[in-house]
Amino acid sequence: MSMQNQTVDQVAVSIHGVAHHFGESGDAKHVKALQETTMDIYRGELLALIGPSGCGKSTLLNVIGGLLNPAQGHVDVCGKRVDGPMPHEIAYVFQENALFPWNTIIENIRLGMLFQGVAKSEHEDRAQQSLKAVGLMEFANHYPGQLSGGMRQRAALARALSLDTPVLLMDEPFGALDEQTRMVLGEDLSVLLSRTRKTIIFVTHSLGEAVFLADRVAVFSARPGRIKQVINVDEAHPRKPSFMTAEKFTRLRNELYDLLHDEIRKTVDLGSRGGGF
Amino acid sequence: MAMTGPRPILSFMQKHPRWSQLLTLGLFFLAWEIAARFFVDKMFLSPPSRVYGEIGRVFGTKGVPDALWLTLFELSIAFAISVVIGLVIGLSVGLGTFARRSFMPIILLLYGIPQITILPLFILYFGIGAPSKIAFGVTHGMFPIILTIVAGVQNLKPVLMTSARSMGASRWHILRYVIFPHMIPSFFAGLRLGMTGVLLGVLLAELYVSTAGIGHFTSMFTQSFDPTRLLGLISVLAVMAIALNEMVRRAETHFSRWKS
Repeated sequence: MSMQNQTVDQVAVSIHGVAHHFGESGDAKHVKALQETTMDIYRGELLALIGPSGCGKSTLLNVIGGLLNPAQGHVDVCGKRVDGPMPHEIAYVFQENALFPWNTIIENIRLGMLFQGVAKSEHEDRAQQSLKAVGLMEFANHYPGQLSGGMRQRAALARALSLDTPVLLMDEPFGALDEQTRMVLGEDLSVLLSRTRKTIIFVTHSLGEAVFLADRVAVFSARPGRIKQVINVDEAHPRKPSFMTAEKFTRLRNELYDLLHDEIRKTVDLGSRGGGF
Repeated sequence: MAMTGPRPILSFMQKHPRWSQLLTLGLFFLAWEIAARFFVDKMFLSPPSRVYGEIGRVFGTKGVPDALWLTLFELSIAFAISVVIGLVIGLSVGLGTFARRSFMPIILLLYGIPQITILPLFILYFGIGAPSKIAFGVTHGMFPIILTIVAGVQNLKPVLMTSARSMGASRWHILRYVIFPHMIPSFFAGLRLGMTGVLLGVLLAELYVSTAGIGHFTSMFTQSFDPTRLLGLISVLAVMAIALNEMVRRAETHFSRWKS
């Protein structure tokens, strides 16, 4: 077997020349959201997408997840061409609370498995396991409205884990949470994910979160977005809180900041129709 | 001290709203009793004590028990039809952008027409028996149900649909596990409004044309200047309406537990 073949086996998600725009070209509302993007994401890898708002990182995530048909190009997940949601390969954690408010936490988890088509006999075991993994066992019978924002996102993660997919997509999973909660959840996530060996792609606004969690960080340019550079973090999981104060962490975070700064400046100036001072 | 005036009573009532409700009700009946006994012509108003005391006479009137059953029957049929029509139209209009844009203005327009003006048409089409009263009840009951269901379906958070879809939910799954539970609270609100509408429609039709039903007897008692029996009959009707409403409200609380 050649080296080439082995690498292909290792690829979990393959993005081929994906580009997207909203509205028809020539239309006043036409927005070029994402420029042609090609990238391979490896099995068990944790890839962070980071960039200024409106750069198309969520668009790319939705294309990978089959929630959005790209105007151009295509994505392969686990060797299959993406053409709509792939519940057996891909699970999602959304930024907003996407739990069904009328179901308890455990009912939410069971419902996900029902949608995906898991045999009823497995529901209870898998629900309990995933609740245990996120430390929410005592809250199984609570309604989402009775939990804090951080606990709700844990519950959403438990639901995604119970689906037992090789790929997990997370769209700013901690975006709506306060700094302290995201830090703790980030640590837990690192421990959890090093055990599950899932392929994870997550969108974030936080430089620290990207460096702390990801194996690679893809930095996007301002709209119309494209991947400007990919940074390797190269640090074993699970990562300890001490990593956050390490020299390497600071160096990578600064590197990201330098890459992003100009792009964010472009977006902000464009937004205010002015130029600097 | 001057402080020991109405203050303690006020604060007591603020703490116990049940008691202030009862007190208000008591005052209302007292005022009615006094007005009927001393100020108003006996041909127009009876005191509540007499109405209550002679309620047996209402049931003793030939035809009234049958009329009660008939009206209850018409109400149930009209209500059932209103719910089915309301659900089907409400869901199809609420869930489809195209259907909403095409039909919503028409529905609002129809709802705006004072239907009493076309009551003669109903009688022409359905005769003077139960069918015309049921039909008139339906047209009064279905609109509030349609409108509350449309509104209820609309404010569903899109991320819930997206997340269900991403987990592989079929159309039926989405309807059964996402849309239905989401619209339960507004559905019940619609049921209560629909119930009031059906009651109004059926009784209006009975008042105008029929020779049976509660509406027929209310107009008969009024014309024979018998306020005691008239008010007795209305009380029976009120008890019926409150009981039906309470049933729906109980069901509503049961299905909306997650909201608390």
